[in-house]
Amino acid sequence: MTSRLQKRPRRAARAAAALAAAGLMLGACGAPAGDAAADPEAQSEPMDWDAVTAEARGQQVSLWMYGGDDRGNAYVDEVLAPAAQELGVDLRRVPVVDTADALNRVLTEQQAGRDDGSVDLVWVNGENFRSGRQADAWECGWAGSLPNSRFVDPEDPLLAEDFGTPVEGCEAPWHKAQFVLAYDSARVQDPPGDLDSLLAWAQEHPGRFTYPAPPDFTGSAFLRQALYDVAGGPSQVPADFDADVAAPLWQRLADVAPSLWREGGTYPRDLAQLEELYAGGQVDFTMTYGPSTLEDLVADGTFPATTRVLPLGGSLGNASFLAVPANATHAAGAKVVADLALSPEQQLAKADPQVWGQYTVLDPSALPPEAAEQLSRFTGSDVVPPFSELSRGALPELPAGWVAPLEDAWRDQVLRR
Amino acid sequence: MLPALLPTVAVLAVGLVAAAAQSLGLLPLVGEPRLTLDAYRAVLDGPSLREGLVLSVALAAASTAVAVCVGFAVAVLVRRTRLGGRLVSVLAAATVPVPHLVGAAAIGLLLADSGLVARLVGAEPGSFPALVAGPWWVAVVAEYAWKESAFVAVVVLGALAAHETSLDEAAATLGARPAQRLRRVTLPLAAPALVATGGITFAYVVGSYEVAWLLGRTVPEPLPVLAYRLFTDIDLATRPEAMAVAVVTVTTASVAVAVTALALRRLGALR
Repeated sequence: MTSRLQKRPRRAARAAAALAAAGLMLGACGAPAGDAAADPEAQSEPMDWDAVTAEARGQQVSLWMYGGDDRGNAYVDEVLAPAAQELGVDLRRVPVVDTADALNRVLTEQQAGRDDGSVDLVWVNGENFRSGRQADAWECGWAGSLPNSRFVDPEDPLLAEDFGTPVEGCEAPWHKAQFVLAYDSARVQDPPGDLDSLLAWAQEHPGRFTYPAPPDFTGSAFLRQALYDVAGGPSQVPADFDADVAAPLWQRLADVAPSLWREGGTYPRDLAQLEELYAGGQVDFTMTYGPSTLEDLVADGTFPATTRVLPLGGSLGNASFLAVPANATHAAGAKVVADLALSPEQQLAKADPQVWGQYTVLDPSALPPEAAEQLSRFTGSDVVPPFSELSRGALPELPAGWVAPLEDAWRDQVLRR
Repeated sequence: MLPALLPTVAVLAVGLVAAAAQSLGLLPLVGEPRLTLDAYRAVLDGPSLREGLVLSVALAAASTAVAVCVGFAVAVLVRRTRLGGRLVSVLAAATVPVPHLVGAAAIGLLLADSGLVARLVGAEPGSFPALVAGPWWVAVVAEYAWKESAFVAVVVLGALAAHETSLDEAAATLGARPAQRLRRVTLPLAAPALVATGGITFAYVVGSYEVAWLLGRTVPEPLPVLAYRLFTDIDLATRPEAMAVAVVTVTTASVAVAVTALALRRLGALR
């Protein structure tokens, strides 16, 4: 069914491309066709939004996104897609196990010279965005001219750089996230106030703390949070990986390791296993880059009702984005969806803990009064404080070039200590 | 036979050739293709491959030994008892189609520190032995041994069905004691089935990913877990290394299959 629906526009696009190529050859008589075709596309800024919305009408946009988050899937299918339908765009969600799969698809199609790519929109950030930029896989210079970007603070450092890679209009902001640690207040009476005291607490309470083994996403975030703590803040961490800066971190983690769960001989394979250990009372701490999941897990009884977010005094924050591949077949529709996703209505709906609980990228002071008022109603809960409190002293993510070397070095220096 | 064989061989051959070519640098994701042993040198350089090979072979040997012994015992039990035997044979037949992933999840729920068994015996937190993700990989071996012993039992029962009763009765009439009949009649009849299922179990465990990933430790990693981690690394340059590990895994499993074939020939089951 879907394949039949998808085939038609693709074949039409291929025919159009062939016609265009033929026309160029006739007209320009062997001029470098590729460049001539690509150039006007790249310089379309500032864009004619009416033309984009007109072109978007009737397009079927495939949004490739991580499919392992049920509430995220439900938000896209039940809230975002119907709203897109009203604008004449048929939004289809394509679930992937890992965002890298979507990027690989784009790169493979690009390598094969296809300009009718099957990926129109990708939920992306960090390393995948960087890899895509290196390969010129994203369309750039459009995100800043979306109508709804007027509600975004242009000075917001979290949105200007994505893990240290300049955004430069190659992706439109979608959510913000905050890394948090959580603990069971029934079992931890004197919660540590920063990461250093947390590690000291772990040494005093053998077997009650651990973290997921990198390259698990959450375990990797824990490493970066710990690196800031040991190095003395983001200003002490250079743009490129530096083994000397990381060395004290390995020393500290190796010192703590014998006091961790299973004497640090093994680590939870992923966040799911850490959550299992925490739910089973095997450890007293868990951690996540999506704090709203904590409320769900407490509400359904998986986690104890006494679960609380640990106030760290400044934790990692990042933003995630929607990017349009340079070879997307339905780029106009994709931009319309990216703009829609950035609208105050959609951002508010998505921020509702009952819906998805993803923090907004919009600047509350730039919002219309009623939207700002609605946003202020998300006051947080006993378990998770509101975003304004969580994001106090938020630390920017490490440059993307650090992520992989940190994970590899952890394996050599801490796991095989 | 051919319609079934053709796609199997084609898929297998294409996969193996592609893996070997990638491991030799002939199908790079970035850069020019070049015949090189760099990927093999890289994985031989670190401790991961050696540890993984030792661990995979040890896991396979332990799982196979337990599965063959338990499977044979179950088959004999089914042959020797009436009602209980029928019940056991139904249980064994029902175990075979359970996916290993489901089996691993079930074993995890059963044997984890806060699992069913720990709760049933009322273990204090921290006092239950580390069966899941523990230093001896108990849960992993238990899962393979449980699943594969059912497979061994079903195949052995098939092998015994043909002649065992008449030969066993003849031996009994001639005055052979039960232990003698087991050693002289049942075991020789079951031997080819035991060797074949043992070889299959060994090769399967060497190449299996999900059970060790779910129930094992972070380090050392069995070969398939190591290969998959390298394959999914952000650094695309580690893809050839992942393929080199995969080739080593296939070679190890192939050696097990070849040894099994030799043993079967010696037993006279293959000619």
